Amino acid sequence: MVSENQVIQVRIKFKKYGSLMYISHLDLAKTMQRIMVRAGIDIWYSEGFNPQPKIVFAVPLPVGVESECEYMDIKLNSFMSLDDIKKRLNDSFPDEMEVLEVYEPEQKLKNVVYIDHEIEIFSPQINQNTALELEKLFSNDIFVSKKTKSGEKEINIKEFIYSFIAREENGKIVINTILCAGSDKNLNPELIIEAIRKNTTIFSGDLLNERYSIVRKEMLKCDMTPFK
Amino acid sequence: MQDISSILKSVSKPGRYTGGEYGQIIKNKEDIKCRIAFCFPDTYEIGMSNLGVRLLYGALNSVPEVWCERVYAPWTDMEEQMRKYDIPLWALESRDEVNKFDIVAFSLQYELCYTTAINMLDLAKIPILASERGEDAPVILGGGPCAYNAEPVADFFDIFSIGEGEEALVELANLYMSMKTDGTYTKTAFLREASHLKGFYVPSLYNVEYNEDGTIKSFAPKYDDVPSKVEKRIIADLNTSYFPTKPIMPFIEVVHDRIMLETFRGCIRGCRFCQAGMVFRPVREKNAQTLDCQAREIFNNTGYTEISLTSLSISDYSCLSEATDKLLAWTNPNKINLSLPSLRADSFTRELMNKISSIRQSGLTFAPEAGTQRLRDAINKNLYEKDLMNAVRLAFEGGKSQVKLYFMNGLPTETYEDIEGIASLAKRVVDEFYQTPSRPKKPITVTVSVSCFVPKPHTPFQWEPQNTLEELVDKQQFLAEKIVDRKIRYNWHEAKVSRLEAVFSKGDRRLGRAIALAQRKGMRFDAWDEFFDYDKWMHVFDECGINPDFYANRRIDYDEILPWDVIDIGVSKSFMISENKKAHQSITTPNCKEKCSGCGANKLGGDLTWCPKIK
Repeated sequence: MVSENQVIQVRIKFKKYGSLMYISHLDLAKTMQRIMVRAGIDIWYSEGFNPQPKIVFAVPLPVGVESECEYMDIKLNSFMSLDDIKKRLNDSFPDEMEVLEVYEPEQKLKNVVYIDHEIEIFSPQINQNTALELEKLFSNDIFVSKKTKSGEKEINIKEFIYSFIAREENGKIVINTILCAGSDKNLNPELIIEAIRKNTTIFSGDLLNERYSIVRKEMLKCDMTPFK
Repeated sequence: MQDISSILKSVSKPGRYTGGEYGQIIKNKEDIKCRIAFCFPDTYEIGMSNLGVRLLYGALNSVPEVWCERVYAPWTDMEEQMRKYDIPLWALESRDEVNKFDIVAFSLQYELCYTTAINMLDLAKIPILASERGEDAPVILGGGPCAYNAEPVADFFDIFSIGEGEEALVELANLYMSMKTDGTYTKTAFLREASHLKGFYVPSLYNVEYNEDGTIKSFAPKYDDVPSKVEKRIIADLNTSYFPTKPIMPFIEVVHDRIMLETFRGCIRGCRFCQAGMVFRPVREKNAQTLDCQAREIFNNTGYTEISLTSLSISDYSCLSEATDKLLAWTNPNKINLSLPSLRADSFTRELMNKISSIRQSGLTFAPEAGTQRLRDAINKNLYEKDLMNAVRLAFEGGKSQVKLYFMNGLPTETYEDIEGIASLAKRVVDEFYQTPSRPKKPITVTVSVSCFVPKPHTPFQWEPQNTLEELVDKQQFLAEKIVDRKIRYNWHEAKVSRLEAVFSKGDRRLGRAIALAQRKGMRFDAWDEFFDYDKWMHVFDECGINPDFYANRRIDYDEILPWDVIDIGVSKSFMISENKKAHQSITTPNCKEKCSGCGANKLGGDLTWCPKIK
């Protein structure tokens, strides 16, 4: 068996969108293991009693969020060309997931510190002042309750928001916001929606006519340059 | 359909409702002449685990002009939103409304899914009663184990598929398309024509009359061309028949998330309580070569790392040794776990044990069903205590320390001595552990799991009454008192559930009113503990003037017309009667490998069976 330091590390950048936004990180991880098997990629397994294919993801993607910039690292037992890996994975991916790039990484996954999101909101309550109101709202302290392992906790999400720009476009609101991400400081973008729900009248509870989408656009390092 | 993303974000497990899995089949609507919505009246997680549905989905979609899609019962939080926002039930692949399909098929796996099935029709905005549906409404088709006595749901369905459906449903779809093409289609004409196909039962084409005592006076076709008996369909050769090798890969965790490889159909044993053992006759096997090829293909298409060999009794599979050798040769190096459920204690060998030991499995399960030899003989279990002890000893020597034993309470002829026998048998299994010198150094647990006997149609026990609720509960308590060893864990099933199962298993058309009323009262997911409401059901029966005792607790005469007599499973009534009589004398019948008992199922044909062929 090949030992861990002999293997070739490969990073896969992919997107996950549409109905696959409802698939949780854990379910995705399990799916990826099966994808590697059916794609015939000779991936390195962890050692021990219950060997598992070793796949490491960058910041887990929350349920309900789409992404154009997911990253996962795998280790290969035997050589396979990067193009071949890309083709095999795309053949084995479900429809709403796509490999964008396969390469040998230079940066560490934990270098991701921020994620740039685009949020779109559709609601009959949106008017020409909404965008401005939202920007004002998010420039101040803003408290929402967050579910943690030890129960609900009030947190000030302003500390997690690096930037927040909102505009109105054809009756919908488009927000570009960079949020803290990673193991040290992380904000689920769903809490932005939660704050809007709590502090504005945009969402009245009509689930058919009021909708939002959240898309991860790019992962960023601490100096705000793109992660790769 | 409309954008329901906000609704999906508001419900639990939205991945149940979106489709999009690897392996789902998407077709171009313009090329399609027959659209089938295949409904499973339970949650996605349960429905996706059903091998029969996977098989039929694949078989139907192998016809280019047919597009078969999946539909599962929405959980109650989703149902609430669908009703609030007036969103009709949709199919996962196209997200089109179910009521726009040509055929809406239901897999009826157990009696307690009836209200869920009817509720799905309602959610699809399809009138639940067949008599109230117009020409434009889809054809509502039922199939699966419950179709062997579908009378309780006869009012809701247009047609039932009886027996194995992978060839029959394709024929039905072809008939539909040809009648649509040549312009002869009306639903009435189609159903009449379909009743001539082998294996299809159209309940509206039969008249049922009742005697004053509630028993059936006559059950006859309304027209001469409609068959008086509907013979079930079987697949003759499992080596050449369709088997899905590219199943849909669920994202969310489902109940059976692994390769399910069917090894054979039918069972040689002939346990007298077992419906599957009768209705799947004759035994037909896949050969080891076919099995191995299919397993490799599925593995390559899915990436699953667990294979389960399915059957009614895996150790009776005559190619088991050859097949497991072939499989283990490549599954072990690929880190694939092979599991063999449904082991019989008397055919559990050291060779098999060694193979299983090489694959991770913590415990073993056996089903003696009854605690004494007398009762095991009465139910024709054909299992001796020495076989069980031999099997558990092998398991202990192989390092296992957990044994699960399945039993039944309330079997015909059962006495309290037989029930006490369950406790003492479990105790002797514990003793066997301590008498095994090479036993593992872990503590032993013997789990005794006891269900309640439900008399099933098309079995030798179909004429038997079920114990009353009081009797069943008393027996459960009696056994609890007899189990004193703390190494024995005792589980029992809710007797009220079994009672309701008995009512619907042996029910007739008059129960349709109760099911409709129950659905109107918001009842569904009866098989789920959190929704099962026995008292509410009793009120429903009361309101409809139905006496559940009539169905569950009455001994039926051999010459009474049974609601399911219209279905011919190939096994003769005279065989059933003789088996019933032998049960009361505790006389066993040899299994099909030892000797043919002349049940009649060999008239159906079938390759690779033990049946003497009919010349």
